[in-house]
Amino acid sequence: MKLFTKYSRINLLTTIIIFLLSATAFYFVIRYILINQVDNDLKIEEREIETYAKEHGTLPEPIPVKDQKISYALSDHDFKTRRFTTDHVEGEKDSFRILQFGITVKGNIYVATVAKSLEGTDALTRSILLISLATILLILATSLIVNRVVLKKLWQPFYSSLDALRNFRVDKKQSLNFPSTQIDEFTFMNQTIRKTTNQAQQEYSLLKEFTENASHEMQTPLAIIRSKLDLLIQDENLSEEQSKTMQSAYSAIEKLSRLNQSLLLLAKIENNQYADTTSINLKDKITEKLNAFHELWQNQNISVSSALQDARVNLNSELTDILLNNLLSNATRHNVSNGSINIILKETELEISNSSSEKELNSQQMFLRFFSQDKKRPYNGLGLPIIKQICDVSGLTIRYFFSNDQHKFTLSW
Amino acid sequence: MKVLVIEDEKELSDSICAYLANEQFVCERTLDFDSSMEKILLYDYACIVLDVNLPGGSGLDILKELKNQNKTDGVLIISARNSLDDKVFALKTGADDYLTKPFHLPELAARVNAIIRRKSFDGKNEVICNELKLDLGEKNVMVNDNPVDLTKKEYELLLYFISNKNRVISKNAIAQHLWGDNMDVADSYDFIYTHIKNLRKKLILAGATDYIKSIYGMGYKFSI
Repeated sequence: MKLFTKYSRINLLTTIIIFLLSATAFYFVIRYILINQVDNDLKIEEREIETYAKEHGTLPEPIPVKDQKISYALSDHDFKTRRFTTDHVEGEKDSFRILQFGITVKGNIYVATVAKSLEGTDALTRSILLISLATILLILATSLIVNRVVLKKLWQPFYSSLDALRNFRVDKKQSLNFPSTQIDEFTFMNQTIRKTTNQAQQEYSLLKEFTENASHEMQTPLAIIRSKLDLLIQDENLSEEQSKTMQSAYSAIEKLSRLNQSLLLLAKIENNQYADTTSINLKDKITEKLNAFHELWQNQNISVSSALQDARVNLNSELTDILLNNLLSNATRHNVSNGSINIILKETELEISNSSSEKELNSQQMFLRFFSQDKKRPYNGLGLPIIKQICDVSGLTIRYFFSNDQHKFTLSW
Repeated sequence: MKVLVIEDEKELSDSICAYLANEQFVCERTLDFDSSMEKILLYDYACIVLDVNLPGGSGLDILKELKNQNKTDGVLIISARNSLDDKVFALKTGADDYLTKPFHLPELAARVNAIIRRKSFDGKNEVICNELKLDLGEKNVMVNDNPVDLTKKEYELLLYFISNKNRVISKNAIAQHLWGDNMDVADSYDFIYTHIKNLRKKLILAGATDYIKSIYGMGYKFSI
């Protein structure tokens, strides 16, 4: 829910409750005052009747007036109390305020009933009620509109900052541009965001630099270890046991230097060292790769089918090589003997699928660095992240599908 | 034949010299820029193994000086930098080949051999090893003048073995040689096993001696 909606809802509800309460109170107070007024009139009428009766010894003739009715009735018992009621009178549609009182004329006790129409009072209270309701609605509508316009304007810097933040990439050397604002809270927020993002960028680039330097520094010791191993195995007196030990050392070194190369490659891609692109004929590139992998597939009895159409894409040549090598190496490594690889190149899409005994990859995590579904496999877990990274910087979209034991990667541009 | 190794990392330089030095090569070495400059101006080498980052200067300046002096020494650049631009630049400046660290010594030896063969190619571009004859231009192999039908990888493998004869080559070095850095399939040594098995079979069938020996599953040796 938007802040504004939430705010409006609370605002609206309280306003309505307050207005309803005050309108009700207002209604009762007005009615009370007006009825009091009518009652006073009735009392004056009572006094007039009593004075008339005292002076003339008879009850005054009731004069028919539109909003006032007077009637007398003989009472058989003493009627002393005075009674006000509000009631309907026969033949009239408005309600009446009625005063009944006892009056003694020549020893006879009469009950005099004076009724005054409340038509005026009702009309007045009704219009007051209507006016106040209309006022409520008007105030609500205005406040809603004003709030909407004003709040939107007030929150504008917030949304601009959000937009700027959404486009923020920690790996891009760009500082965030926030529109200037006179609101202290937003200025403070922007300052904080700027500080935090700058810090993140700084730390990120330090980390990147560190990775690259560390990888570079590792090259020489690795070269030395490898060369020493190459020399050591020349020894003719090596026993079988020692040879096995050597093989383990070789494999570990191999893994380490491969890992190192991969990390270095990732760091370089992130550092935009492969930014220059040329129009690449993918059909030629893939044909070249098919030739390079041909013997490998033959040895493993992997049948390869390819349907290649012409496709030209603007890519970095080195990265394209690495990308295709990685995709085809993956399709080969994770294959089964007598398996198959299918390569389909269309004008805007490349599809590589392979048979495998492995289960479906976790599409959420498959591109994470060092994520491996099967920890026992000898691979370093950087193959797919490198593929993904290359796709990202080259503007290619990569998708993964799995069906019938076939793993399929689709690149589109 | 004399080979000069210019590499500031003494341990690596030691290894390279120890591996290259055999009946065919005499290995000299320098560890910094100035002494290297002095050596290349004074003597001629069949091949110079040249590191790019040297104390006192860049290996590429040594290369430029060689070219200025119109010297014909073969040059193999060894560098930790593996970008295409660096390679292209070194080759344009006049290097014969470029090898990225960390490398396998058999790979280095194969490259040095190839450079020397190219430089000293006197009309016939071939390698002869007892009854084996490799035509480097046509990329075919004869055993006692009978042609042997080898695949591209098998041919590369044989040439690699001959460039490293009487040396044990690890399976890792073979994998890297055949498939390079980028083809990330080197973990599966089954591929190498199949290639070597086929190569041996074909050579023996053609009447050659079985030179290729397996060494405890760790690697192979082409012994003469």
